[in-house]
Amino acid sequence: MIGAFDRRQLLQSAVLGLGVGALPLNAVGQSSARIVIVGGGFGGSSAARLLSSLLPEAKITLVEANATYTACPFSNLVLGTDRPLSAQRFTYDALKSGGIEIANDRAVNVDPELKFVTLAGGQSLTYDRLILSPGIDLRWNAIEGYTQAAADLLPHAWKAGPQTTLLKSQLDALADGENVVMTVPPAPYRCPPGPYERASMIAHYLKARRPRSKLIVLDAKDQFSKMALFQEAWAEHYPDHIEWRGAIDDGGITRVDASTNSVFTDFDEISAPVINVIPPQKAGAIADVAGVSDATGWCPIDPISFESRLQSDIHVIGDATIAAPMPKSAFSANLQAKVCAIAVARSLSGIAPEPTVLANTCYSYTTPDEAISIAGVYNNEGGRLSSVSGAGGVSPLGADKTVRNAEAAQAEHWFSTITAEAFG
Amino acid sequence: MRNPKFQIILGSLSALCLAACGSGTDTSRKDSVADTAARTSSGALMASACSGCHSSDAGAIASFEAYDQSGLEQRLLDYKSDENGTTVMHRLARGYSDADIALVSAFLSEMRDAT
Repeated sequence: MIGAFDRRQLLQSAVLGLGVGALPLNAVGQSSARIVIVGGGFGGSSAARLLSSLLPEAKITLVEANATYTACPFSNLVLGTDRPLSAQRFTYDALKSGGIEIANDRAVNVDPELKFVTLAGGQSLTYDRLILSPGIDLRWNAIEGYTQAAADLLPHAWKAGPQTTLLKSQLDALADGENVVMTVPPAPYRCPPGPYERASMIAHYLKARRPRSKLIVLDAKDQFSKMALFQEAWAEHYPDHIEWRGAIDDGGITRVDASTNSVFTDFDEISAPVINVIPPQKAGAIADVAGVSDATGWCPIDPISFESRLQSDIHVIGDATIAAPMPKSAFSANLQAKVCAIAVARSLSGIAPEPTVLANTCYSYTTPDEAISIAGVYNNEGGRLSSVSGAGGVSPLGADKTVRNAEAAQAEHWFSTITAEAFG
Repeated sequence: MRNPKFQIILGSLSALCLAACGSGTDTSRKDSVADTAARTSSGALMASACSGCHSSDAGAIASFEAYDQSGLEQRLLDYKSDENGTTVMHRLARGYSDADIALVSAFLSEMRDAT
């Protein structure tokens, strides 16, 4: 009988493609390979761990500024329920003990010609392959008045951590009868259904603790991910606690004023003690420095290898990529990391990467014990990612509560599994 | 939070490989390349979509270990053909050809049997 830990490990290694009988790689090209990965989220950490097992002789360095990672998925539950932020935190201990070098610093420059990365502390890391998994940066000033300083007053909480704590503390300080405002940007942005899960969790909080308060959602769009399912849940659970305004109802905002806690639309000014501004986004800044982002602010990639379309030997994975219809999700980042790692391992061994079938799953909570989901299946042939017709889609409308409860349990299981694969 | 020991054990993937494979074996570049080809095969690549949700831990999401090759293949085909299914797996299975399902099932069961 194999112990639980051993079984999980063997399974994981099996999925990574390590069978009994596999041999260590001693080929010159592989053993001397230097692989630098920038960004220790779901993408970067998953890529580092898989490459470390596929190419045990390679020197793999993960550059990450934070000593611990704070995961975004499930952070909306921190806002709306008693879930502690500590449940979102993951260390890099497992990566370190797996032989991956962690450079606890910020990458500030990339020289794609001479192939090295410069860190804020002055260190240079030469690479044969660079994998960028920089996530998102917020576009400060894209909304007039929404600066980095304004975010200390009007939190975005779109990167989990201190911003999540700030928004939670503002909700806790809200008086019954006062309102909360959330603004939602146009697509594309990290986690398409995320704002609506957050709306559900904030509404749950208000219903339970500030019953005379409500959440006003000002949306730059008229359609959103899992829209009918969210609206069904809102009508059932939060009829008095969510007011959603799409673009057609003057939902798009033009300006914020942090000094007066106000947001402005074309025709309206709304003030509230708590304003959660989810601003427009772009690829993390290192993507611009490395020359892998285009005029959209995001990174075009080859969908088979996730190599940049703009720079050789630099791969980009996760939220920073242009991978639509594959969404900017933790699931996508984790899978793109694995597909990219396999392509890099093959390429360093002189074997061409090959196309495959990719997938995505995103769960969203509508109450603390009910969730809905969206799934997609994608081909990466023909130079682009494309949805497989007849597959994917959302949870059924009008489903029994047991279906919603089952998806909430599956969501929890998913979080446990994917974080174990990425961080150990 | 997780047991730190658990994290360390899980983190030792490269160590596991060396232990499982027997370290110090001389392999020619040709063997090594063939090995990389095997470990990054079509089946391994396609099955990499599974491990974000499925592990050896059974629970709200099924474990791989519950099925042998034919059992797994049949289960996936059932998901694919069940028009009334409500789970993510039903919607995902519809995107895979029967040949894809056979490939993934063969890979996962091979790895399961190898352990």
